[in-house]
Amino acid sequence: MRRSAKSRTADLFAAEYGSAVRRPDASPASLPAAPLAPLAPLAPLASVSIAPQTTAPHPLSRPHSRHLWYAAVFPEMTQESAAAGLQKLCLHAQAFTSFVSIEPPNALLLEIRGSVKLFGSLQRLHADIDACWRQLALPVRSATAPSTLAALWLARAGDALQIEDVETLPGHLAKVPIACTAWDGELLQTLRAMGVTRLGELMRLPRAGLARRLNPGVVQELDIALARQPAPRRAFVPRERFRERCDFETEIEHVAYLEKALEPLIERCAQFLLKRQAGVQALQLRLKHREVPATRVQLGMASITSDQRRLTDVLRQKLTGLELKAPVRGMELISGSLRGLSASSLDAFAGLTRAGSRDSAPQLVERLRARLGEEAVYGVCLIAEHRPEAAWRRVHELRLSGAPQVAEGMIDQGMPRPVWLLSEPLPLTKPQLLQGPERIESGWWDGKGVARDYYVARQCGGRKPEPTPAGLPQGEGQDGPSQAQGIRLWVFQERQSKRWYLHGIFA
Amino acid sequence: MSCVAAKTWMLRETSLTDILADARVWKLKDASAAPARPVWSTGKSSLDARLPGGGWPTASLVEVLLDETGLGEVQLFLPALVACQRSTQAGSEAPWLVWIAPPHEPYAPALAQQGIELGRLLVVRPSTATEALWAAEQALSSGVCAAVLLWLKGTDDRWLRRLKLAAEAGGSLGVLFRPARHRFESSPANLRLSLSRGEHEAHVDLLKVQGGRPGPVNLDGL
Repeated sequence: MRRSAKSRTADLFAAEYGSAVRRPDASPASLPAAPLAPLAPLAPLASVSIAPQTTAPHPLSRPHSRHLWYAAVFPEMTQESAAAGLQKLCLHAQAFTSFVSIEPPNALLLEIRGSVKLFGSLQRLHADIDACWRQLALPVRSATAPSTLAALWLARAGDALQIEDVETLPGHLAKVPIACTAWDGELLQTLRAMGVTRLGELMRLPRAGLARRLNPGVVQELDIALARQPAPRRAFVPRERFRERCDFETEIEHVAYLEKALEPLIERCAQFLLKRQAGVQALQLRLKHREVPATRVQLGMASITSDQRRLTDVLRQKLTGLELKAPVRGMELISGSLRGLSASSLDAFAGLTRAGSRDSAPQLVERLRARLGEEAVYGVCLIAEHRPEAAWRRVHELRLSGAPQVAEGMIDQGMPRPVWLLSEPLPLTKPQLLQGPERIESGWWDGKGVARDYYVARQCGGRKPEPTPAGLPQGEGQDGPSQAQGIRLWVFQERQSKRWYLHGIFA
Repeated sequence: MSCVAAKTWMLRETSLTDILADARVWKLKDASAAPARPVWSTGKSSLDARLPGGGWPTASLVEVLLDETGLGEVQLFLPALVACQRSTQAGSEAPWLVWIAPPHEPYAPALAQQGIELGRLLVVRPSTATEALWAAEQALSSGVCAAVLLWLKGTDDRWLRRLKLAAEAGGSLGVLFRPARHRFESSPANLRLSLSRGEHEAHVDLLKVQGGRPGPVNLDGL
């Protein structure tokens, strides 16, 4: 009786979880030869796109995995030290495979299928990786399995297992305590209350019910662990930057000599970037002094570049404006994070078609910014807004290449607009009106509402209205002797106060 | 004795063609001929007629002397700026316009209304006059700017010469707005004009025109 109940559950399990778990008496030949589901190999790239796996796998599809995952769990790693620590460990782990992935909070996953042959055998490779952690005096628990989660769970369970075969995976996983899954406490509590303490007991439960009663994620994770569902991972890509220093034999007191000494550094930086098909947008130069703290020179480029000439150009501009507070003993050039460089800027003939002295718009902008400051160089753009002062704004992110956008709809051809807009409207006496009114009433919703009648006016006084103290409209008497007329103004009358203001000048 | 004789001989032998061949001799006839560089129409036929080639010369420095803004000084150049931004061939990038130290904020809607491509306009606000001149020189000689407009309180002759050379090197039009008190100073600018208030319109007075005749211009409505 008991035996038959057990075999029934096993049947159920086999139906639910596919053919991974077989009754011992079932021969491999009796398995339906399901075609292998095409599974794209996981490229070690950040941009792995994989179709969402929302549907459950076909119960009869043969579980498989082309990958072999080594999981290392560092139990002593604390939350704070883990973030930076794991990245350092990734660099060590990259000696064994190119695909290393961080599993927060304290584990690493290495895809080692490709490395097995190189290292001789899986046992050997596994032992080598373990030895690597031992050298770093890091207590570690490790396991190898054909799926990420299985490797991780087995590692957490503490059995240093090396499972190569997907077929044996369920048997090994069945012994793993559910606490190793790192599911949230509430879920684990519920499972324990149900009498489930090991994964095997969980796998025996009906799939649909599990998903409905507990959490669909549980079923999905089990599928991933059993290598039934792909689980793309993000590979660790080391953050590279150029960093090189040079120390001087004698202290340098003049900026001119610094420029000379910088040349080889910049050349190496440009070479470094070129080899990686990358560019930088920010650089930092640190000048070291004997006693005072190092001087830091920040450089910003208008666009991502690896061009040595442009880097030199900007550095030179920055250095000319620099006053050395002490003689310089050495310097260090540190690049910002590397960015991919578009192919367009690597035009081999770019230098030939242009005259030697000419350069590109980004170069001009960054040279101006290097000397005058970031804020001093800007563009202007339109904003679809009726209030004149809000209809434009400064833009510091210049579109330096490509066709500029044309906003036809935003250009109002109806009423004239002045070339100069005063930053603040100036009070003035009623001028001689030429054209208007144009009523602008807008902005009641943001507290800066305006209700104005705009006119084009001719200046009637001799002088342009000078700024007067607020609330004191400029009287006629303050104006100089009446001269000839010439200046066209853009004025408005505030509708409530009936006061006149100057807002722009037609130049 | 023999030395003096040689000198007189040389003087006698120097013909007019030799003198004209000297690079230091500037010939009015050649300058008034159609210039090699393109010109941009000012948008005013009466002004165009007075300028050699019929418009603002490119690759040169134009100096505008005026005491107050609002005399239509920007309007004199806007048609030319629009034309040069539009005239670029498809494929190549539209040239940039750089405005350095303008007296007020350039009002984007007004410029867009006139047809300026705002994506290709750069406003520079340097803190000192020297920096403004430096920025103008950089922009003029860069070769990516069609025109550089610069507003200044005052500057010396040496800087103007540098600006002129930069404009010639970069092939762009440099426009310098200066107060009218500099009217009687010498200037290397290719074209100098002063703007003052008139009865209805501003008076335009050509002070110096390379290859043309100076004198007041009667504008038919500015």
